[in-house]
Amino acid sequence: MGSSSSNMDHIPDAQHLMQETGFSAAHLVRLYERFDFLDKDDRGELRLDDFEAVSELAMNPIGDRIIRAFFSPGRETVDFPSFVRILAHFRPTDTNRTRNGRNGAQPEPANSRTNKLKFAFQLYDQDRDGKISREELLQVLRAMLEMQVTEEQLQSIAERAIQEADLDLDDTISFDEFKKSLEKVDIEHKMSIRFLE
Amino acid sequence: MADPRPARSRFSPRLTAAFLCVFLLVFLRCASASRDVVSGSNETWIRPARSTQEDPHDHHGNSTEHKKAFPVLAFNFEHVRKPFEISMWILLALLMKLGFHIIPRISHVVPESCLLIVVGLLVGGTIKAVEGTNAPVLDSKLFFLYLLPPIILDAGYFLPIRPFTENLGTILVFAVLGTLWNVFFIGGTMFAVCQIDGAGLADVDLLSCLLFGSIISAVDPVAVLAVFEEIHINELLHILVFGESLLNDAVTVVLYHLFKEFSHEGSVSVGDALLGVVCFFVVSLGGILVGFIYGILGAFTSRFTSHTRVIEPLFVFLYSYMAYLSAEVFHLSGIMSLIACGVIMRPYVEANISHKSYTTVKYFLKMWSSVSETLIFIFLGVSTVAGPHDWNWTFVVFTVFLCLVSRVLGVIGLTSIINKFRIVKLTKKDQFIVAYGGLRGAIAFSLGFLLTDSKMKHMFLTAIITVIFFTVFVQGMTIRPLVELLAVKRKKESKGSINEEIHTQFLDHLLTGIEDVCGHYGHHHWKDKLNRFNKKYVKKWLIAGERSTEPQLISFYNKLELKQAMMLVESGSTSKLPSVMSSVSMQNIQPREPPRRRAMPSISKSREEEIRKLLRANLQNTRQRLRSYSRHDLMIDPFEDNVSEVHLRKQRVEMGRRVSFCTDSSSRNIHKLSLYYDKVI
Repeated sequence: MGSSSSNMDHIPDAQHLMQETGFSAAHLVRLYERFDFLDKDDRGELRLDDFEAVSELAMNPIGDRIIRAFFSPGRETVDFPSFVRILAHFRPTDTNRTRNGRNGAQPEPANSRTNKLKFAFQLYDQDRDGKISREELLQVLRAMLEMQVTEEQLQSIAERAIQEADLDLDDTISFDEFKKSLEKVDIEHKMSIRFLE
Repeated sequence: MADPRPARSRFSPRLTAAFLCVFLLVFLRCASASRDVVSGSNETWIRPARSTQEDPHDHHGNSTEHKKAFPVLAFNFEHVRKPFEISMWILLALLMKLGFHIIPRISHVVPESCLLIVVGLLVGGTIKAVEGTNAPVLDSKLFFLYLLPPIILDAGYFLPIRPFTENLGTILVFAVLGTLWNVFFIGGTMFAVCQIDGAGLADVDLLSCLLFGSIISAVDPVAVLAVFEEIHINELLHILVFGESLLNDAVTVVLYHLFKEFSHEGSVSVGDALLGVVCFFVVSLGGILVGFIYGILGAFTSRFTSHTRVIEPLFVFLYSYMAYLSAEVFHLSGIMSLIACGVIMRPYVEANISHKSYTTVKYFLKMWSSVSETLIFIFLGVSTVAGPHDWNWTFVVFTVFLCLVSRVLGVIGLTSIINKFRIVKLTKKDQFIVAYGGLRGAIAFSLGFLLTDSKMKHMFLTAIITVIFFTVFVQGMTIRPLVELLAVKRKKESKGSINEEIHTQFLDHLLTGIEDVCGHYGHHHWKDKLNRFNKKYVKKWLIAGERSTEPQLISFYNKLELKQAMMLVESGSTSKLPSVMSSVSMQNIQPREPPRRRAMPSISKSREEEIRKLLRANLQNTRQRLRSYSRHDLMIDPFEDNVSEVHLRKQRVEMGRRVSFCTDSSSRNIHKLSLYYDKVI
């Protein structure tokens, strides 16, 4: 379906995007094709129902959160650069790049460990106040456990989780506490999709 | 001699050593006595027959003087000889093991496997010197049918699944391609070496060299387990080397049989080589299939054992052993079959069997594998003394050298390919440990022993034994200082954390969702599909009762709560209590700050009831999860008999006093849990 160079012309701001996210030209083309596929009405941007058309997402317990994460607050559509920027979080971490980025000239890339964790944190923290409250945690647990448990069990689990993680005793989990509770998990491996390398 | 109690600890190493020497002498005397009796027993059997014939004669003749008196004490060793000898050997092995752990200085430097081989050498040497005849050799049938399966089952049943499946590609590459490389490199180069004039090896043809290569190339799971157990390196390296040692069995089996068949014929055609490749797939996949079938059968059987809890552990052992034997019948890979059976069976069986049965399974597996391992190493030592040796300097030296070289080259070469596909790359340090951890062991020896008798066989056996000794002694002893020198990452001791579990599951769902958005059917997508299939169909069939619908998070949470309650009761009387409790709720409370009153509701009646219900329902079913795998450690089992009522009551009082310092309602929560737990015992 046409050479990659002609496809690249369709992509707005391709060079800038590549630099910002670290994707190669081939990846960008592949993602653009996927974006095109999802965009059923060929509008050049994705709406909520385009995402909901992906059948597997409907079965996912946190599918609605993932979909909402693509939409910037207040906007109803997702254009290609936003699409790519979100997916850039899931690129495998490039250790060489982070070493160079330490110079301070460039901001941390989207797929650094901290930024990956920040993305996950925002999925918990729906009201974007920078903390995971007990109610937000309960909502996540309810979604994941899919009605198979009693309210009591949910409360005890949420209770215990907050006790374990909450170090400054404000009854919520801040981003730093979240990061600390996951320090033993290999996030670089876990939150990377090889397809996007 | 002041206090009897402290003095005991001072005396016991010397006392034990003396006792062991005495016991060794007694054992050797009995072993030689058994030999005397073997030759003598024939006469004793014949003599009674003759004497009964004579007796009527004498009876008629000089009656009363020749009448035999009723034997008050008789000596009939032949009757019990075989089980007696087996028990003596096992007892010796275990006493040796005991001795090493009491004498601390040596066991820090020298790994246990080396010490056991040395003991075997001593025993073999002593028997040879005393008797002049040969000591018992490590019989291949004994090894493959009785000594090896417990170790492999223990390894397979407790295999950490997540790291194994995450690194499966890498492990397979090392196991299959690495072993193939080793075989052909060593075989080919040895053939070239044999062509050198003056080495006296001209009669060794290419096929024999390749056969030798196939025996000596495989990394041995027993040796790897024995050495790596003690150095506690990080999970990734452990699973890479150990997984490789398990999965290379299929390659070894195929190549060994292939070359053995054709070493008689003298040449291998291309068609045969292709058949060999097909055979490899049949052997490995067939082995896994056999294990899978038996695993499902075992899981299904365990669903119905709620009324006969006592025999539950036996089902686990027998189904697994049958899987191994059935695979061996068809010359499939028994090791892979055993691993597959254990892995498949475990999640369902654990949901079904009682806590005590689970503990029994764990204890027995560890016990048998420990005994097996000890016996294997001792027999290796004894066989070294016994076996007919044919020492050929060129052959042996080149073998050892080539084994090292080919391993290093293989690992480096394969890693450069693998790293292109890995997300977390293998560093140079990792590669070094993987290369250095390629230990050879008893499997190589037994395979060599199975060869048909010839002059070449003795030469091969000598070389194999030398390589085994070299890897176990030199590499085994130096790997620990090297690990410390290179500052290789060690195993992280992690307590179970509900946060980690919640977030890991959350991330699983997240990654699956992102993969769906990308339209990419990756790792997470298939894992999610498998989980759904498992939850919807398989669990309903294989798990009894209401546990079949329990989500993983809930069972994890219950295990954690139970473990906490148990730990509190156990350690309540020691000063460790504050730190134990801190792992749950007290880590927030620093000793310098005054304890703050948290704005949390006190436990409602209904919640207390709920917790009680949870505990009651799950005390029979839940169990502690083994977090850090160590052969010699078993978690404290509160159901053991030595946890007496008095002990517990004292602990409760102590705990009550300490708990009253804290105003944390959650600590009261735990206190109530532990009180409830006391009532239950």
